Amino acid sequence: MPSPEQMQILWNLSDTVLYAEAVVFIRHLVYDEECMPLPASQVTGLLNISNASSYAELDRFIRHQRDRNWPESRKDVKTFYTELDKLFATMKNKRLRDEFHLVQAKQNSKETIQEIDELMALLAHDFIQHLIAENGLLAVEKATERAKRGR
Amino acid sequence: MKKEMQIILEVSDQAENFYEDAVQLGDHAAYALKARHRSQMTGLENIAESTLKSSDVLDYIKRQTARFPYWRQNFPKDLSNQSFNERSKQSEESDPSNKGFGERLKLYLEKNLVDKRNAICSEKRLNISDKTDEGRQSRRRVYLLLIRQFLRQMVAQYEYRVSFEDRKKGA
Repeated sequence: MPSPEQMQILWNLSDTVLYAEAVVFIRHLVYDEECMPLPASQVTGLLNISNASSYAELDRFIRHQRDRNWPESRKDVKTFYTELDKLFATMKNKRLRDEFHLVQAKQNSKETIQEIDELMALLAHDFIQHLIAENGLLAVEKATERAKRGR
Repeated sequence: MKKEMQIILEVSDQAENFYEDAVQLGDHAAYALKARHRSQMTGLENIAESTLKSSDVLDYIKRQTARFPYWRQNFPKDLSNQSFNERSKQSEESDPSNKGFGERLKLYLEKNLVDKRNAICSEKRLNISDKTDEGRQSRRRVYLLLIRQFLRQMVAQYEYRVSFEDRKKGA
Protein backbone atom coordinates (compact mmCIF):
# COMPACT_ATOMS: atom_id res chain seq x y z
CA MET A 1 0.00 0.00 0.00
CA PRO A 2 1.58 3.34 -1.00
CA SER A 3 2.33 5.75 1.84
CA PRO A 4 0.41 9.06 2.20
CA GLU A 5 3.50 10.87 0.84
CA GLN A 6 3.60 8.59 -2.20
CA MET A 7 -0.12 9.17 -2.76
CA GLN A 8 0.42 12.94 -2.74
CA ILE A 9 3.15 12.54 -5.36
CA LEU A 10 0.90 10.26 -7.42
CA TRP A 11 -1.94 12.81 -7.39
CA ASN A 12 0.47 15.57 -8.42
CA LEU A 13 1.83 13.38 -11.20
CA SER A 14 -1.64 12.50 -12.40
CA ASP A 15 -2.60 16.19 -12.74
CA THR A 16 0.64 17.59 -14.07
CA VAL A 17 2.38 14.79 -16.00
CA LEU A 18 0.07 11.88 -16.81
CA TYR A 19 -2.89 13.98 -17.93
CA ALA A 20 -0.85 15.92 -20.49
CA GLU A 21 1.06 12.84 -21.64
CA ALA A 22 -2.12 10.79 -22.11
CA VAL A 23 -3.57 13.54 -24.31
CA VAL A 24 -0.37 13.72 -26.37
CA PHE A 25 -0.19 9.91 -26.61
CA ILE A 26 -3.66 9.38 -28.10
CA ARG A 27 -3.56 12.51 -30.26
CA HIS A 28 -0.23 11.40 -31.72
CA LEU A 29 -1.74 8.04 -32.68
CA VAL A 30 -4.85 9.59 -34.20
CA TYR A 31 -3.40 12.69 -35.89
CA ASP A 32 0.19 11.68 -36.73
CA GLU A 33 -0.10 7.91 -37.14
CA GLU A 34 -3.58 8.21 -38.64
CA CYS A 35 -5.03 5.53 -36.37
CA MET A 36 -8.73 5.51 -35.59
CA PRO A 37 -9.63 6.29 -31.96
CA LEU A 38 -9.87 3.19 -29.80
CA PRO A 39 -13.23 1.46 -30.38
CA ALA A 40 -15.83 1.26 -27.60
CA SER A 41 -15.31 -2.47 -26.97
CA GLN A 42 -11.58 -1.92 -26.32
CA VAL A 43 -12.29 1.12 -24.15
CA THR A 44 -14.60 -0.93 -21.94
CA GLY A 45 -12.16 -3.84 -21.67
CA LEU A 46 -9.18 -1.64 -20.88
CA LEU A 47 -11.09 0.42 -18.31
CA ASN A 48 -12.44 -2.66 -16.58
CA ILE A 49 -9.06 -4.30 -16.28
CA SER A 50 -7.36 -1.10 -15.12
CA ASN A 51 -10.00 -0.63 -12.44
CA ALA A 52 -9.99 -4.16 -11.11
CA SER A 53 -6.57 -5.70 -11.56
CA SER A 54 -3.01 -5.62 -10.38
CA TYR A 55 -0.44 -4.08 -12.69
CA ALA A 56 0.86 -7.56 -13.57
CA GLU A 57 -2.58 -8.52 -14.87
CA LEU A 58 -2.99 -5.24 -16.75
CA ASP A 59 0.44 -5.78 -18.30
CA ARG A 60 -0.56 -9.29 -19.36
CA PHE A 61 -3.77 -7.97 -20.91
CA ILE A 62 -1.91 -5.27 -22.87
CA ARG A 63 0.66 -7.77 -24.18
CA HIS A 64 -2.08 -10.22 -25.08
CA GLN A 65 -3.91 -7.56 -27.07
CA ARG A 66 -0.65 -6.45 -28.66
CA ASP A 67 0.26 -9.96 -29.77
CA ARG A 68 -3.15 -10.96 -31.10
CA ASN A 69 -3.44 -11.58 -34.80
CA TRP A 70 -5.59 -8.57 -35.63
CA PRO A 71 -7.22 -8.37 -39.08
CA GLU A 72 -6.00 -5.58 -41.35
CA SER A 73 -9.11 -3.52 -40.61
CA ARG A 74 -8.19 -3.45 -36.90
CA LYS A 75 -4.42 -3.03 -37.10
CA ASP A 76 -4.82 0.34 -35.31
CA VAL A 77 -5.73 -1.57 -32.16
CA LYS A 78 -2.44 -3.47 -32.38
CA THR A 79 -0.55 -0.19 -32.86
CA PHE A 80 -2.31 1.25 -29.82
CA TYR A 81 -1.38 -1.64 -27.51
CA THR A 82 2.19 -1.79 -28.87
CA GLU A 83 2.73 1.88 -28.03
CA LEU A 84 0.99 1.61 -24.66
CA ASP A 85 3.17 -1.36 -23.71
CA LYS A 86 6.34 0.60 -24.57
CA LEU A 87 5.17 3.62 -22.58
CA PHE A 88 4.37 1.62 -19.45
CA ALA A 89 7.62 -0.35 -19.73
CA THR A 90 9.63 2.89 -19.69
CA MET A 91 7.54 4.20 -16.82
CA LYS A 92 8.11 1.07 -14.77
CA ASN A 93 11.78 0.48 -15.55
CA LYS A 94 13.07 4.02 -15.50
CA ARG A 95 10.74 6.91 -14.72
CA LEU A 96 9.28 5.46 -11.50
CA ARG A 97 12.72 5.74 -9.84
CA ASP A 98 14.65 8.34 -11.83
CA GLU A 99 11.98 10.90 -12.62
CA PHE A 100 9.01 10.35 -10.33
CA HIS A 101 11.17 9.41 -7.29
CA LEU A 102 8.49 7.06 -6.05
CA VAL A 103 10.81 4.13 -5.35
CA GLN A 104 14.07 4.22 -3.45
CA ALA A 105 17.37 2.75 -4.64
CA LYS A 106 17.44 -0.17 -7.03
CA GLN A 107 16.42 -3.26 -5.13
CA ASN A 108 14.82 -6.42 -6.27
CA SER A 109 13.40 -7.70 -3.02
CA LYS A 110 9.95 -9.21 -3.00
CA GLU A 111 8.63 -6.15 -1.15
CA THR A 112 10.07 -3.74 -3.71
CA ILE A 113 8.60 -5.71 -6.60
CA GLN A 114 5.22 -5.61 -4.90
CA GLU A 115 5.55 -1.89 -4.18
CA ILE A 116 6.37 -1.23 -7.85
CA ASP A 117 3.36 -3.28 -8.93
CA GLU A 118 1.06 -1.25 -6.66
CA LEU A 119 2.47 2.09 -7.76
CA MET A 120 2.33 1.13 -11.44
CA ALA A 121 -1.29 -0.02 -11.06
CA LEU A 122 -2.23 3.45 -9.77
CA LEU A 123 -0.20 5.33 -12.37
CA ALA A 124 -1.48 3.14 -15.22
CA HIS A 125 -5.06 3.48 -13.98
CA ASP A 126 -4.89 7.28 -14.08
CA PHE A 127 -3.05 7.34 -17.40
CA ILE A 128 -5.72 5.09 -18.94
CA GLN A 129 -8.55 7.17 -17.45
CA HIS A 130 -7.06 10.35 -19.01
CA LEU A 131 -6.35 8.63 -22.30
CA ILE A 132 -9.87 7.23 -22.63
CA ALA A 133 -11.49 10.58 -21.80
CA GLU A 134 -9.51 12.22 -24.61
CA ASN A 135 -10.18 9.25 -26.90
CA GLY A 136 -13.93 9.89 -26.52
CA LEU A 137 -13.54 13.47 -27.77
CA LEU A 138 -11.45 12.29 -30.72
CA ALA A 139 -14.03 9.63 -31.58
CA VAL A 140 -16.78 12.29 -31.71
CA GLU A 141 -14.54 14.54 -33.82
CA LYS A 142 -13.91 11.71 -36.32
CA ALA A 143 -17.61 10.76 -36.43
CA THR A 144 -18.54 14.41 -37.11
CA GLU A 145 -15.99 14.58 -39.93
CA ARG A 146 -17.38 11.37 -41.46
CA ALA A 147 -20.95 12.69 -41.22
CA LYS A 148 -19.94 15.95 -42.95
CA ARG A 149 -18.19 14.05 -45.75
CA GLY A 150 -21.23 11.82 -46.16
CA ARG A 151 -23.59 14.76 -46.70
CA MET B 1 -1.37 35.39 8.74
CA LYS B 2 -1.41 31.64 8.37
CA LYS B 3 -0.88 30.23 4.89
CA GLU B 4 -4.22 28.43 4.91
CA MET B 5 -6.07 31.67 5.63
CA GLN B 6 -4.09 33.46 2.93
CA ILE B 7 -5.09 30.77 0.41
CA ILE B 8 -8.78 31.10 1.32
CA LEU B 9 -8.64 34.89 1.00
CA GLU B 10 -6.87 34.76 -2.37
CA VAL B 11 -9.34 32.21 -3.75
CA SER B 12 -12.31 34.30 -2.53
CA ASP B 13 -10.76 37.34 -4.13
CA GLN B 14 -10.47 35.55 -7.46
CA ALA B 15 -14.04 34.29 -7.14
CA GLU B 16 -15.20 37.91 -7.28
CA ASN B 17 -13.19 38.41 -10.46
CA PHE B 18 -14.48 35.37 -12.33
CA TYR B 19 -18.11 35.70 -11.26
CA GLU B 20 -19.15 37.20 -14.61
CA ASP B 21 -17.50 34.32 -16.49
CA ALA B 22 -19.28 31.77 -14.28
CA VAL B 23 -22.59 33.50 -15.04
CA GLN B 24 -21.91 33.29 -18.78
CA LEU B 25 -21.08 29.60 -18.58
CA GLY B 26 -24.08 28.99 -16.32
CA ASP B 27 -26.31 30.56 -18.98
CA HIS B 28 -24.66 28.42 -21.64
CA ALA B 29 -25.25 25.32 -19.47
CA ALA B 30 -28.92 26.25 -19.03
CA TYR B 31 -29.33 26.73 -22.78
CA ALA B 32 -27.62 23.43 -23.64
CA LEU B 33 -28.71 21.12 -20.83
CA LYS B 34 -32.12 22.55 -19.95
CA ALA B 35 -33.76 21.62 -16.65
CA ARG B 36 -34.21 18.00 -17.64
CA HIS B 37 -30.46 17.29 -17.55
CA ARG B 38 -29.94 18.81 -14.10
CA SER B 39 -28.23 15.61 -12.94
CA GLN B 40 -25.31 16.48 -15.24
CA MET B 41 -24.66 19.61 -13.22
CA THR B 42 -25.01 17.85 -9.87
CA GLY B 43 -22.68 15.10 -11.13
CA LEU B 44 -20.08 17.69 -12.12
CA GLU B 45 -20.34 19.49 -8.79
CA ASN B 46 -20.10 16.23 -6.86
CA ILE B 47 -16.94 15.20 -8.69
CA ALA B 48 -15.35 18.60 -8.11
CA GLU B 49 -16.24 18.61 -4.40
CA SER B 50 -15.05 15.08 -3.71
CA THR B 51 -11.94 14.60 -5.84
CA LEU B 52 -8.34 15.38 -4.94
CA LYS B 53 -7.29 15.81 -8.59
CA SER B 54 -8.30 18.50 -11.05
CA SER B 55 -7.76 15.99 -13.87
CA ASP B 56 -10.77 14.00 -12.59
CA VAL B 57 -12.96 17.05 -13.22
CA LEU B 58 -11.50 17.57 -16.71
CA ASP B 59 -11.93 13.87 -17.55
CA TYR B 60 -15.56 14.03 -16.42
CA ILE B 61 -16.22 17.03 -18.68
CA LYS B 62 -14.59 15.20 -21.61
CA ARG B 63 -16.57 12.01 -21.01
CA GLN B 64 -19.90 13.81 -20.83
CA THR B 65 -19.01 15.94 -23.87
CA ALA B 66 -18.23 12.81 -25.87
CA ARG B 67 -21.31 10.98 -24.65
CA PHE B 68 -24.11 13.54 -24.85
CA PRO B 69 -24.79 15.84 -27.81
CA TYR B 70 -26.22 18.54 -25.56
CA TRP B 71 -22.80 19.01 -23.93
CA ARG B 72 -21.57 19.94 -27.42
CA GLN B 73 -24.22 22.54 -28.10
CA ASN B 74 -23.06 26.08 -28.96
CA PHE B 75 -24.51 29.16 -27.34
CA PRO B 76 -26.12 31.43 -29.95
CA LYS B 77 -24.17 34.65 -30.38
CA ASP B 78 -27.21 36.86 -29.83
CA LEU B 79 -27.76 35.30 -26.39
CA SER B 80 -24.10 35.43 -25.47
CA ASN B 81 -22.79 38.39 -23.53
CA GLN B 82 -19.14 37.50 -23.11
CA SER B 83 -17.54 38.98 -20.09
CA PHE B 84 -14.32 40.93 -20.08
CA ASN B 85 -12.18 38.06 -18.78
CA GLU B 86 -13.26 35.68 -21.52
CA ARG B 87 -13.05 38.32 -24.26
CA SER B 88 -9.58 39.39 -23.33
CA LYS B 89 -8.33 35.83 -23.67
CA GLN B 90 -9.90 34.96 -26.95
CA SER B 91 -8.50 34.76 -30.42
CA GLU B 92 -10.65 33.89 -33.41
CA GLU B 93 -9.94 30.22 -32.83
CA SER B 94 -10.78 30.27 -29.15
CA ASP B 95 -13.87 32.48 -29.42
CA PRO B 96 -16.14 30.86 -26.79
CA SER B 97 -19.25 31.42 -28.89
CA ASN B 98 -17.81 28.99 -31.47
CA LYS B 99 -17.57 26.23 -28.89
CA GLY B 100 -19.95 23.75 -27.38
CA PHE B 101 -20.63 23.96 -23.65
CA GLY B 102 -18.25 21.16 -22.59
CA GLU B 103 -15.36 22.38 -24.73
CA ARG B 104 -15.84 25.95 -23.52
CA LEU B 105 -15.93 24.90 -19.87
CA LYS B 106 -12.86 22.67 -20.25
CA LEU B 107 -10.95 25.47 -21.95
CA TYR B 108 -11.88 27.91 -19.19
CA LEU B 109 -10.71 25.56 -16.43
CA GLU B 110 -7.53 24.60 -18.31
CA LYS B 111 -6.48 28.11 -19.36
CA ASN B 112 -8.13 30.90 -17.38
CA LEU B 113 -8.15 29.19 -13.99
CA VAL B 114 -4.60 27.91 -14.43
CA ASP B 115 -3.49 31.50 -15.10
CA LYS B 116 -5.32 32.61 -11.96
CA ARG B 117 -3.73 29.79 -9.94
CA ASN B 118 -0.28 30.83 -11.23
CA ALA B 119 -0.94 34.46 -10.32
CA ILE B 120 -2.10 33.55 -6.80
CA CYS B 121 0.92 31.29 -6.25
CA SER B 122 3.46 33.78 -7.64
CA GLU B 123 6.31 35.13 -5.50
CA LYS B 124 4.53 38.45 -4.94
CA ARG B 125 1.47 36.77 -3.45
CA LEU B 126 1.39 33.34 -1.83
CA ASN B 127 4.90 32.45 -3.03
CA ILE B 128 4.15 28.76 -3.58
CA SER B 129 6.86 27.22 -5.72
CA ASP B 130 6.33 24.33 -8.10
CA LYS B 131 9.86 23.07 -7.47
CA THR B 132 9.11 21.02 -4.35
CA ASP B 133 6.61 18.23 -3.69
CA GLU B 134 5.04 20.32 -0.93
CA GLY B 135 4.69 23.32 -3.23
CA ARG B 136 3.17 21.20 -5.98
CA GLN B 137 0.60 19.83 -3.51
CA SER B 138 -0.36 23.33 -2.41
CA ARG B 139 -0.68 24.51 -6.01
CA ARG B 140 -2.87 21.51 -6.79
CA ARG B 141 -5.07 22.40 -3.84
CA VAL B 142 -5.34 26.08 -4.83
CA TYR B 143 -6.34 25.04 -8.36
CA LEU B 144 -8.99 22.66 -7.04
CA LEU B 145 -10.38 25.36 -4.73
CA LEU B 146 -10.65 27.71 -7.71
CA ILE B 147 -12.40 25.02 -9.79
CA ARG B 148 -14.88 24.28 -6.98
CA GLN B 149 -15.63 27.95 -6.45
CA PHE B 150 -16.10 28.56 -10.16
CA LEU B 151 -18.37 25.54 -10.61
CA ARG B 152 -20.50 26.49 -7.60
CA GLN B 153 -21.10 29.90 -9.13
CA MET B 154 -21.76 28.41 -12.57
CA VAL B 155 -24.24 25.83 -11.22
CA ALA B 156 -26.02 28.52 -9.16
CA GLN B 157 -26.53 30.54 -12.36
CA TYR B 158 -27.65 27.39 -14.21
CA GLU B 159 -30.27 26.70 -11.50
CA TYR B 160 -31.43 30.31 -11.57
CA ARG B 161 -31.77 30.31 -15.36
CA VAL B 162 -33.57 26.96 -15.67
CA SER B 163 -36.00 27.97 -12.90
CA PHE B 164 -37.59 30.32 -15.49
CA GLU B 165 -38.01 27.35 -17.81
CA ASP B 166 -39.72 25.40 -14.98
CA ARG B 167 -42.01 28.36 -14.25
CA LYS B 168 -43.00 28.67 -17.92
CA LYS B 169 -43.90 24.98 -18.00
CA GLY B 170 -45.89 25.34 -14.78
CA ALA B 171 -47.82 28.35 -16.07
